[in-house]
This record gives sequence, structure tokens and C-alpha cells, in this order.
Amino acid sequence: MQPFDHVSATSAAAAVELLQQGGPSGARVIAGGTDLISLMRDRIQSPRLLVNILPAAAALRYLRFEADGALRVGALATLADIERDPHIAARLPILTQAVRDAATPQLRAMATAAGNLMQRPRCWYYRGEFPCWLKGGDECFARDGENKYHAIFGASPCVAVHPSDLAPVLVALDAELTIAGPGGSARTLPVERFFAPPTDDERIEYRLQPGEVVSEIRVPAQPAGARGAYVKVMDRQAWAFALVSVAAQLSERDGVVERARLALGGVANVPWRVAAVEDLLTGQRLTPALAAQAAERALENAHPLTHNGYKVPMARAAIRRALLAAAGQEE
Amino acid sequence: MTSAESLIGAALPRPDALAKVTGAARYPADLVRPDMLRLRIVFAGRPHARIRRLDTAAALAHPGVLAVLTAADVPYNAYGLIDADQPALCQDVVRFEGDRVALVVAESNEAAEAGAKLVAVDYENLPAVTDPRAALAPDAPLVHERLGTNLLLHVPIRKGDVARGFAAAAVVLDGEFSTSWQEHAYLQPEAGVAYMDDAGRVVIETAGQWLHEDRRQIAEMLRLPEDQVVVRYAAIGGAFGGREDLSVQHLLALAAWKLRRPVAIVWSREESMIAHHKRHPITIRCRWGAGSDGKITAVEAEVIADGGAYASTSAEVTKVATLFATGCYEVANVAVDGRAVYTNNIPCGAFRGFGAPQAQFASEVMVTRLAHALGLDPAELRRRNIYREGSVEPTGQPVPEGVSAAAVLDRCIAEARARLGYGEPRAQPADPRIRRGVGIACGIKNVGYSFGYPEQATATVELFGVAELERAQVRIGAADVGQGAHLALRQIAAATLGIPPERITMITDDSSEAPNAGSASASRMTLVGGRAVRDACLAAREQWSATEEYHGMATVQFRPSATTPLDPVTGAGRPNYSYGYAAQAVEVEVNLLTGQVRVPRIISVHDVGRAINRQQVEGQIEGCLAQALGYALLEHFQVRDGRILTPYFSTYLLPTAPDMPDEIVPIILETADPEGPFGARGVAEMALVPLTPAIASAIHDATGVWLTQQPMTPERVLAALDAVTKRQ
Repeated sequence: MQPFDHVSATSAAAAVELLQQGGPSGARVIAGGTDLISLMRDRIQSPRLLVNILPAAAALRYLRFEADGALRVGALATLADIERDPHIAARLPILTQAVRDAATPQLRAMATAAGNLMQRPRCWYYRGEFPCWLKGGDECFARDGENKYHAIFGASPCVAVHPSDLAPVLVALDAELTIAGPGGSARTLPVERFFAPPTDDERIEYRLQPGEVVSEIRVPAQPAGARGAYVKVMDRQAWAFALVSVAAQLSERDGVVERARLALGGVANVPWRVAAVEDLLTGQRLTPALAAQAAERALENAHPLTHNGYKVPMARAAIRRALLAAAGQEE
Repeated sequence: MTSAESLIGAALPRPDALAKVTGAARYPADLVRPDMLRLRIVFAGRPHARIRRLDTAAALAHPGVLAVLTAADVPYNAYGLIDADQPALCQDVVRFEGDRVALVVAESNEAAEAGAKLVAVDYENLPAVTDPRAALAPDAPLVHERLGTNLLLHVPIRKGDVARGFAAAAVVLDGEFSTSWQEHAYLQPEAGVAYMDDAGRVVIETAGQWLHEDRRQIAEMLRLPEDQVVVRYAAIGGAFGGREDLSVQHLLALAAWKLRRPVAIVWSREESMIAHHKRHPITIRCRWGAGSDGKITAVEAEVIADGGAYASTSAEVTKVATLFATGCYEVANVAVDGRAVYTNNIPCGAFRGFGAPQAQFASEVMVTRLAHALGLDPAELRRRNIYREGSVEPTGQPVPEGVSAAAVLDRCIAEARARLGYGEPRAQPADPRIRRGVGIACGIKNVGYSFGYPEQATATVELFGVAELERAQVRIGAADVGQGAHLALRQIAAATLGIPPERITMITDDSSEAPNAGSASASRMTLVGGRAVRDACLAAREQWSATEEYHGMATVQFRPSATTPLDPVTGAGRPNYSYGYAAQAVEVEVNLLTGQVRVPRIISVHDVGRAINRQQVEGQIEGCLAQALGYALLEHFQVRDGRILTPYFSTYLLPTAPDMPDEIVPIILETADPEGPFGARGVAEMALVPLTPAIASAIHDATGVWLTQQPMTPERVLAALDAVTKRQ
């Protein structure tokens, strides 16, 4: 690990200010540090200044339902906070399920909601000592290399997948981020648009302007009777990154789907929302046949690599299961 | 008096258990003191290269860096368990990613790390050979230029006439199997401290599997007499064969000896993963024939093991894999060729099972396939061929006395019928996506060293008490790697002497204080070490009874009946003096949509000769099954061009508690080994041998497809299912 300076921020605004002092690329916000520290230890990232935002917990660590039913999640709420919140368990169990599956209890106690969205890919070429494209190199070693955990969707030069369990669920819930910026500014951005596949100019999976800090995640009130399900498929029973995950959120009226959201994890650089399937489901009765049709449609444009073709049938199965579970049906 | 009957088999509590569960036990990393110098190794980070220049100036200029040791600092720069072919610090060529190039000694960990980054090595990358078959091609790049070949060993075994055997067969089947590396993944990564003691000796306090072998290699490297080197073991956090090769011990010794200051090193998990040896990837191509009577008539096989960059124990592992290409079955006509090959991959060496799991993945699946082809129950075909007293091994000698393979199999089948409905139409889950299946497999593994390797254990016992035996002191340099060897040896001593176990002092962890017991490996410590303790107790006791001074002290070296090297042309010889036998029945549930395999139930039957501590034997079986389950289904060590892609437990996945079966039924049989203490043989490795083929057979039972690559991941299960669907 390279030596670095460490300063504390007691608010999002203070963090913004300190980040600007650190220069455009030399400063990073650290919260739980569950990913950043390992990236620094492996010298994948070597910021010269760490702005520790944990002292801002009084202002940024909260979980609140508004009168209209929206949920506000402070950026520093931990995964464990979300998992243990009885109101979330009752009103948005899909969120509880996503954080419960995300990591070990130790990690859940440290990892923050906002940090979870900004974790970097687990691709072994990115994490290992390979000069891979995502780290500024010329070549994606996974594309023709060992790629059983890699993407089946997307057109980025990078074929790593997004590791977050929270991200696809927040996309399916139409969540928004509040982002604090220089000069006391703030903007809101749908979580879906916060993520963007890495490009030649921006080799990262999310978009923040220099000096910006995520301060809140807002989950809007869901339509009455809306239900969701998160299905995560892993190599083992616990504590592994998703091979494939599916977040499905449905609202029905008189047995007919009125609004559907479907987002996949573990299949692309970013949470992969499947609008075509949402359209297909809308206005229909969710039957096992329709779920199967939706699963087929969702994977229509998948283009697996040498070792990850298995993700296609696996994702179809997970989509069927998630859709039926969201509709309160057994598969 | 304490009767042998009440002590042998008794589940006495482990004296070390409380300290281990409360965190009080001192493992090697707990010995590090703030005033010690810290070491950091500069690894090659590339599979094959020539060192053009190595510049330590910048590192030495870094504050806190006291020295950078290189090849020039090593008196005799070669070590290894069998062939001393591995440089402690590379001089001219690096041969794998984890090769050690320089050793930075600094006042702090931070300074050592910074210094390591500043060691400037100018490499000329050389073509790397990372596939063992390609490595055997005549124009392949050479891993060791001086050898002129990448072939480390060719071991042929010939028995009978395979052409005649196949001609007599009603069924002849071909198979090809491949296995990957496996990481030992012990809880405690490599660590230790070293210093010069008041007597001027180099003392290394660390973890390992064989005090005296560590001492021998370190003394050789430093060109010191062995009595000038002392190796002591702290609490050892697992080994599984992975601590047989030197990792940090010799480099600790080098730094302490050079600088005359106490030094310490603690490897990170990533350093441990890239730098210590692994289980061999082995590919097996084979042909099996059987008559319509279910008798196996011939086996032909080619066994190729990727030995990686250095010899380690590759030759021995490959001989074991070659010997067990026919499993535990008597076959009249055998032609097997085993080859160990040097590559620029990570060196491979000892790992629980030592070649037997790879070989018997192939042989056990082939036996089940033969049964299916002949319309026989796989258990019945096994019965008709399995080793019995007087059966002849492929190497031409009778199987060592105490053959219980058939009894183990029969018990396993009886349990499988009662508990898993073996042999009956399978009740399938209501969910049509989940298919349930049951599979069986047998396993055989030698206890103790093979092929003429010198086998012995020595113990010294001193008795105290006048007129009545009061207490005893047992000295034996036997490593307790977590398996409970020290308690087993104590129970053997107590039962032999007829005194309570707590009146026995065990001196076990210092090469200068305890005699050489050989390694804690090859499932041998209970048999060989236990027998040395028992014999020394008997001799001391006799002496004590015979003298008026009541002085009893005896040192006894126990050597089991001899084994021999294999004939270089025919493989004839006596490979082993004792075997452990196992049989397993497993139930699996395969998810046809996701390819995931769950193993709800395992029955694991073992003949251990005599259980010295029944609870520990069961613990060994259950712990071994966790490692075996990971090997069969999950642990996928990925390497590209000699670079390890999975040095983390986030991508090299081990089973967690929920991945373990709902039910494990360990069953212990006791057919006495003629040489073991109270008849005991060994159990440590046996459960790893049959599990992969048992699960493969159960997956076949559930789905109709055969998996031939370890690990059997969802990717491979779905590919196999897909291939069958496409054929139809």
C-alpha cells in the first residue's frame, strides 16, 4: 500500500471540500473501506488523500420512511442497518433479502449502502497484476481468457460484471441518489443512470463528477400492492458474489401486471435492466408460461464468452423464479 | 491402574482445545515481537524469465531497510524434500510466479514492503510452458535447462498382458479425466520467527509437518551441522501436506543467521496462495475391460501430472497416482504409465490423498461405468474385483496383510440401502427441476511412506516413580497439525504404561529435544509414531521393573516392514506396508436449470485398524469431507499462462457451513493392522479419496450424464446436460 494522508469529514459538504483539496484523482472518500482498502493494498488504486466520511455518521447514517411511503437511506447506513430494520423487512423485503445475501456479517457491519454501489469489479485480471484495459491497459484479458464469472451482456471493452447485490434491487425500485457537489450544490440522479459501462474515457462503472459525494439513496413509494423478489445464484450457499442475480418488482391490479421492473446482476458491467421484458409483462396476467416467455426474452441478446454460457440458462431459471415469487406464486 | 481397554478409543478431551477456542493458543504469527526485524520476499511475478540484473541500491537506501539478501548470500542455494532443485533465492532464472528473488530485511513491516518494491530486477522474459502435455513436446521450452527435458519422472507399471485381457473382455470402455490444482487453505498462513540463541544456534519457531526434515534442509542450505539449527513448532493451524515443503522457514533462518538479529515474517493469504505448493492437476486417459462375469480383465492408463516448476514430492505423488490407477481392485493385466512433468506453473506437492484422489476419480467412475455396461449393480462388480487377503497388486506383490476393503464396501452398501434407499427406485422431489441421485465409491490410500523411502519413528520414554509408576515423559518429534496427534500418542503411552494420561509429559515440538518421528503426513503418525511410543514405553517399563533403582528410560526406533522401489521397467516391487480402506455412499440433488449440486447426505465408512480416540477419528472424517466436498464441487483454482487468478478466498471458494451435507454418517471399522499400535492404522486422508467419484456417480444416477472434470461446477454440469440434450 502506498502511503497516504488521512483526513476526517463530519458532513458531506466537508467531504466535498476536502476532496477538492486533494486534487481531481488523488483523493478518495473512504467509508467502510471494505473494497477500497483491498484495492489500495493491491495497488490498484493509490489515492494520496483519504477523506474519511465515517465521522459524518450523525448526519448520514439513517433509515427513514417518509409520510408518502418513500424510504430515505443515508449514504452511511450499513448493510447490517438495512438488514436489521423491521420496517424495511415489512415494507421492502426485497431490500432486506439483497443485503442479507451480500456478504459475511463482519462485512455487512462495515460496508455502507453508498459504498456498496461504488465497489469495483471482482474480475481476476483487474484485481491481479495484469495491465488490463479497466486499469488503463490495452487489453481485456478476460474476453478470451478465464471468464466463467464474466459478462453475457454489454458492449464495453471490459467484460467484468458488477458485484453489487444492492444495485439491481435499487434499479428495480426506481431509486434515486442525492449527490452533494462543490459549493453546496446537490443533484439527484436515478440509480440506473448513476451506473454506466466503462468507456475509453471513463474506465469506471459509475459516474461522479470530481468532488462529488453521494449523500442519500431515496427509494420512492412503490405502488400499492407492489411486491418484489431478489434471487441470487451462487457457487456456494453463502457469501459469494452472484453468478447471476435477479431483482423483480411487480405491481398488479385485478391480477394484471400494471408495472414491472426487472434488473439483473452478475451479467454486465452495470445492473442490467431489461425494459423489453417489463413491456412484455405489463398488462398481462403473470403465469408460469408468461414468466418463461419473459425469461426467454430477457436472454435473447445475451452473447456469452467461452466459459460463461451456463449463465444463460441459469439467468432464465432465476428470472422465472423471481417473477413468480414477486407475484406471490410458487414456481 | 488404568486399563488399556478404557483408554484406547476413549474420546478424551483435547488438552489444546480450550486454548484454541479461546484464542490463547500461540500460533507462529503470535510469536512476533515488536523489536524483531521484519522480512519481505520479492517474488518473481512472472512464470519464466532470466534475471539480467538485480539492483538493491534503491531498496537499501530506503529508511529502515537493513539488508537485501539475494542468491549470493545463500551458502548452498538449493533445497527440496526429495531433489534439492529449488533455489532459496533465484540467481539467474525464475521458473514460476512465486519464485523468491530477494529477501528484504527491515526495521518495520512498512519499510520491508517499501524496500521490496524498490528492489529493481531487470528480467528477460522467457517462453513459458504451462501445459504438461505441451511440455513433453521435443521443442518445448525447458524449465530446467540443465536437465535437457521437462520429464521429471516416468513410472511404468506392467502386469500380465493387457492385449490378452482386452481380448477376453465382454466390455471395453475408454475414459478421460482431468483434475485441477487444489489449495490447502489452512487457517493459518505461513509465519514464523528466527533468532540466534545463546549457544550460537539458529533457532526457527514456526509451523511445519516434520521438525527434523526442516532442520536437515535448513542446515544444508546454511552449510551448518544439524545440531547448530533448532526448529520448534508453535501451535500449527492446519497443514494437509501444504507445510511439507519449506516456505518461510529457511528464509527466516538465513536472515537471522546473516544479521544475527531476531527476524519475523507473516505471509498474507495472497502470498501463501501464490507461493506454497498445491495439489497436482492430473489428467488420466484410460481403458478398462471386463468379462461378462464382472471380472475386470485389463486396465490401461496414462497418468500425466503437472509438477510445476520444482520437484517437491511430484515423483512420489505420481507413483501413488500410477499405482492407484486400478483403485483397490485386483486386475490381472495392467499397463499404466505415469509421468510427472515440469512446467512453469506453481510447484505441486503433498496434499491430503497424495495422488490417490485424482487416480481414483478415474478408476471409480470407470468401475461404475463397467457395471452399467454389463447390467450389474456397481456394488456387485466392485465385490467381484475388490482387494482381499492375498490379492496381488499391479506391482506383483500381495496386498499387505489386514485387507478389509470388502468389509468396508459391504458395510457401506448395507448402510446405503438402509439410509439412502440404495438399489431401489429413486423417490424424486416433487419439483421437476431437482433430480436426486445416489452414488457409491471405494477408496484406498497407503498409510506411511512408499517405494522404499526410509520409514521410521523414534521415541524416548523416561519413567519416574519408586515401587509404583508415577509419571512418564515421552519425547517424540511429532507435529500436531491440528489432527490431534499429541493426544493420540499420549493415549497410547497411557494405555501401554497403565497410568492416567495426565501423568504423562509430552515433549514434541523441538528438534533438539525430541527424536525424529518422521512427518505428520501420509496418515502415518498414529501407526508409526504411535508404535514407536508404545515400543519405547514397553522397553522403559521392562527396564524400570528390572532394576532396583526403578530407573526406566528407553529410546526405540520403530521401522515397519520394508517397502521397495519400483522396478524401472515393470514397476514390480512392494510399494507399501499398510493401507487404509474407505467406501462412501452419497445422495445428491442436481438442479437441472442452474447446474448446482447439493449433497444432502454422505455415508463414509473407514477401516482405521483401531480408533485410538474415536471422537478425533470422526472429526478427521468430517473435516476431511469438507475439504473433499470443496474439491469435488467448488474449489476452482484458475491459472492463466502461469499466473494465478484466484489468490483470494473471494474467488477461490471454499465450502461454508450451509454447503455441508445435512447429514454425515461416519462409520468406523476396526480390522487390526498387524504392525500398528493396538492395531491402529491411519485415517487422515481416506475420506478425500472416494468422494469426487461418488458424487460423479450420484450426478449420473440423477441425470444420466457423466462429469469427468474436477471440480464439478455448475458450468460443467450444465455443459454436460446440454451436450446430452443436443445429441438427442
